[in-house]
Amino acid sequence: MAYIVVQILNALSFSVLLLLTGLGLSLVLSLMNFVNLTHGSFFLLGSYIGVQWMASGAPWWMAFPAAFVLTGLVGALLDRYPFRQFYPRTHLMQVLLTYGLSVVFADLMRWGFGADTLSPMLPDLLQGVVFVMGFPFPVYRLFLIATGGSLALVLWWAIEHTLWGAAIRACVIDRGIVETLGINTRRLLTVGVVLAAALGGLGGALGAGMLSAYPGLDEEVLLLALLVVVVGGLGSFTGTVLSALLIGFVTTFARMWLPEFANFLTLGMMALVLMVCPNGLLGRETRQL
Amino acid sequence: MTSRAWISATGVDTAPGRRAGGWRWLCLAALLCGVLAVFGDDYQLRFAAEILLVGTAVMSLNVLVGFAGLVSLGHGAVFGAAAYGAAIASQHWGSDLLLMLPVGVLCGMALAALMALVSYRSSGLFFLVLTLVVGQMAWEVVFRWREVTGGADGLRGYPALTVAGLPASHPLALFALALALAVASGWALRTFVRAPVGHAVQGMRDQPLRMRALGFHLGRLRLQTFLVTGAVAGAAGSIYPFVNQYIGPNAVHWSMSATLVIMSVLGGIATLAGGFVGAALYLVAQTQLSSWTDRWQLLIGMLFVLTVIFVPHGIVPALRRRFTS
Repeated sequence: MAYIVVQILNALSFSVLLLLTGLGLSLVLSLMNFVNLTHGSFFLLGSYIGVQWMASGAPWWMAFPAAFVLTGLVGALLDRYPFRQFYPRTHLMQVLLTYGLSVVFADLMRWGFGADTLSPMLPDLLQGVVFVMGFPFPVYRLFLIATGGSLALVLWWAIEHTLWGAAIRACVIDRGIVETLGINTRRLLTVGVVLAAALGGLGGALGAGMLSAYPGLDEEVLLLALLVVVVGGLGSFTGTVLSALLIGFVTTFARMWLPEFANFLTLGMMALVLMVCPNGLLGRETRQL
Repeated sequence: MTSRAWISATGVDTAPGRRAGGWRWLCLAALLCGVLAVFGDDYQLRFAAEILLVGTAVMSLNVLVGFAGLVSLGHGAVFGAAAYGAAIASQHWGSDLLLMLPVGVLCGMALAALMALVSYRSSGLFFLVLTLVVGQMAWEVVFRWREVTGGADGLRGYPALTVAGLPASHPLALFALALALAVASGWALRTFVRAPVGHAVQGMRDQPLRMRALGFHLGRLRLQTFLVTGAVAGAAGSIYPFVNQYIGPNAVHWSMSATLVIMSVLGGIATLAGGFVGAALYLVAQTQLSSWTDRWQLLIGMLFVLTVIFVPHGIVPALRRRFTS
């Protein structure tokens, strides 16, 4: 029983990471129908920034805002060129462009940060374990659940209850009408892209303490984030939360019971969900015209 | 997506019909193959065989993506699963082409059918991710099932290829087999595309709703396209492990699928010949770059980016436009 509780906490911390990463990807996808396969690279870049920052001796808690801002900056640069001219193009072209870029970034990061697995030097406050019903559980993961959970809450509030969020939601549904209201949607979309990249980086910085940072992590995270977005359904915050929880729990418990086939089981379960609900758990029915 | 949107997006007019001057290119290709067969050394012949086999897989992907509009990120897995199927079967039942070919075709068709069934009701991004998921499931099996597939090390040490009992492991024989397969596959796919079912498939790409109103069963059309392209990719995959007597899990990974797609775009997405042009350009670039610098992956990534920015419509359509006007 106690062991199960610890695993549930593990699953929760993984779900929170998936949620932060998936939210960014989902934002870009539903806002401008842009498939961004560089999102995994943002995550890994954030991880490396977090690791480097904590090793540098600067205040540790600044690592997360730093990762947020720096990856956001990369996102802003990419938005200017070459993403912008690809927003109106087919998914096929977007996939190839962003896949190519993710290969470039992966190699650049291997060049810059080496091919070894790097773990952040966590502050004393976050090191060690607490005992949950007699089982040890890393403090860092509790911190992860709390920070990530509250960040997701803030985002939810910003999207559902502020004027900016309302404008973004309106943009998802009909960009043309929003433009006629005198809102510069181009700028709004740029904000969306930058925010998405920054969220990916922040997720990476937070995740470094749990997953470490190594070449190849970008691809693993990308695949999971894509699944989170697609299984949740496009343009639905609640759906993304649900699917992040679902994937987090399925992965964690599959790893516990059948470690060899964990990924296979996760992928298979998600394929099943998508067979039953072709538009994701809470996605809107897509209309063909 | 409307037909106008698709054509402006891919920039190709896929209307089948006889194009003047096509035989000139065919002669050029035949000449090239003849020169290679006579003057090529062992390494070049093996490399050419690899290009022809991968090119055949890309050609089948062209039908799937370019003609049917089904953007699949799992075609590499279809090709790789067939290659693994053939390599594993050869360990048990010997490596005769007459056995390898059906094994590869069956493996390819089985995985392609699975993809078609899983993505039966999906479209757009959901279709893309589902094909990716099924492909990655195949990769997981290959990567984890160490006793059978060799895991991360891949397979080697299986018997060399024979044809009806005669040894066919000489590079020239492999090249000839690959060439024969490429020609046969090209003919089969051309027939498929020009047959009524091929026209229906292109209609499905351009106007799915109208095709349904006309009484076509889109799910069945999709399944048929998947089966045909899976069979061709599987046939190519069945010879592939015997070119270098090695097959690794990378052949099943989704990066292989993405590579096949970029070859397809590089050559020209809705052309059949483009598959070979794209495969040749990509594989030559990869071999040259990786022998020249350690940072070749960066340059390959740049190749992806430059391709979609500068030649999104592919090389073969560009050449065609140039030489027909």
